[in-house]
Amino acid sequence: MSLTNLLATPFVLNAFYAVTAVALAAGAVGYFVVLRRQAFAAHAIGHVGFAGAAGAVLLGVSPIIGLLVFCLGAGVLIGLGGASLDDRDAVVGVTLTAALGLGVLFISLYSGYANATYSILFGQILGVSSGDVVVVGLLSLGVLVCVSLTYRPLLFVSVDAQSAASRGLSPRAMSLVFMSLLALTTVVAIQIVGVLLVFSLLVAPAAAAESLTSRPLHALLLAMGLALFSAWTGLLLGVWLGGPVSFWITALASTSYVVARLLDASRPRRVRRRVA
Amino acid sequence: MNVLDVDHAAVQLAGRTIWRDARFAVAPGSITAVLGPNGSGKTTLLNLILGLVAPSEGTVRVFGDVARRGNRRVGYMTQTRDADTMSSLTGRDYVGLGFDGPRFGWGRDRNKSEVIRRALALTGTTNFADQPMYSLSGGQRQRIALAHATVFEPELLLLDEPLAALDLAAQAEIVDLINLIRDTTGAAIIVVAHDLNPLAPIVDQVLWIARRQVRCGTIDEVVSEEVLSDLYGHPIEIVVTSHGRRVIVGLEEEFAHPHPHGPDHTHESAHEHFAEVYEEETS
Repeated sequence: MSLTNLLATPFVLNAFYAVTAVALAAGAVGYFVVLRRQAFAAHAIGHVGFAGAAGAVLLGVSPIIGLLVFCLGAGVLIGLGGASLDDRDAVVGVTLTAALGLGVLFISLYSGYANATYSILFGQILGVSSGDVVVVGLLSLGVLVCVSLTYRPLLFVSVDAQSAASRGLSPRAMSLVFMSLLALTTVVAIQIVGVLLVFSLLVAPAAAAESLTSRPLHALLLAMGLALFSAWTGLLLGVWLGGPVSFWITALASTSYVVARLLDASRPRRVRRRVA
Repeated sequence: MNVLDVDHAAVQLAGRTIWRDARFAVAPGSITAVLGPNGSGKTTLLNLILGLVAPSEGTVRVFGDVARRGNRRVGYMTQTRDADTMSSLTGRDYVGLGFDGPRFGWGRDRNKSEVIRRALALTGTTNFADQPMYSLSGGQRQRIALAHATVFEPELLLLDEPLAALDLAAQAEIVDLINLIRDTTGAAIIVVAHDLNPLAPIVDQVLWIARRQVRCGTIDEVVSEEVLSDLYGHPIEIVVTSHGRRVIVGLEEEFAHPHPHGPDHTHESAHEHFAEVYEEETS
């Protein structure tokens, strides 16, 4: 079958729609993950999602329900408990290990675990059904609408919580809003790239964008663009050359980050960043 | 009408009285300096005016109303530090957040770029406003932070340690800018500071907080050996140099009364006191 014919098959088309929705949501939310230095929380929510999906498989319900329950729960916990920087890492760490422990239990209770575990961990992009596409598309659209409506206040509390609080914004409430958006994005991203590779779409494009521009709106749109580029090209390469699509997406996203850092380092007359 | 009326106010945090019986007023267009040892409750005073903390006794009235969060007539400049996340933004974007950062939704104010342009011009930051803030000097960063705090034209401006970590030349520039902002916008300004000397030329009144008490008056009324000795509870000597700087001797007695922060912080706070005494005696 030629490449054009292959790209027109339903399972590739479904993958294309799903990956588009996920990349846009992950790029936008990822910008705030990087800005707020909450990569660890993003990592943890992905692993919490593992427990949720494993639990759902065990109960015989759709993994997305388990993902939603567990990821949103963890998002709320981290958002409420870790609003201040001081105890954020501890709250995230405890949530992470508790959920992973549960995940191990669920997996051990489920007999046919190998396949299910593999797809939760590494994604099953070419196995996305039309129904999945609708769910993923609606969740991503919801996330993007929320990000655009809360963009300014979210940016304000992320860069200067004290000043934002003095102007009537609640950093705790905004932290909760953000963690919920992050949880929803993680749920959709896990469908496509899996728990272990959520980072590739959530953190790498945003980190690349943030090192290329200091204008927040430009960085956010650039993050979405880079995520989309990695996702589309990764899908194409996976279908054309073979190999897991998750691998291609991850490789492209990581490469774009490395290239961005090299560009940033080679720019002339630029004062080196003092922040890590 | 006064911008701020504080009447017999006391404030408690976690059951501990920070200070009590504060009585003072701030007139429109005036500049007030707030001084006192670390941990004496200077920032707490700002939080009270911002409505982030409620008084345990007495009243705090801002423009005649009880202090409340998110009052558009009050601007606040936080202490800035190197590693703050704001440093990855350009100055122009940070100033823009001061204008419409609290607003949800899709709408965009048409005047935004013009208002920002004016704030940048007033604070002399136009030339470096499009650089990321991590590439700026401490003084340039403070100017951007002042633009952020004034861009929505507040009538009362609270500045938390705007002179901290600046060299003397940069301090003098910021003091001139504070005076210019007062003259141009007519805002009343309250400045928390470590050292009165750089601010003395522009200050209309002084609030001195120590040992849970608050004294208010002109510089001559408050910064006297009699008043400060009474406030600190031991003899304080004030030496005026030929350049008119006041050197305050005797604050080191504070060493003997470390604040009850618990064992971990005792050493740190004693160290900070030393730094403060050293600064005040040498600058």
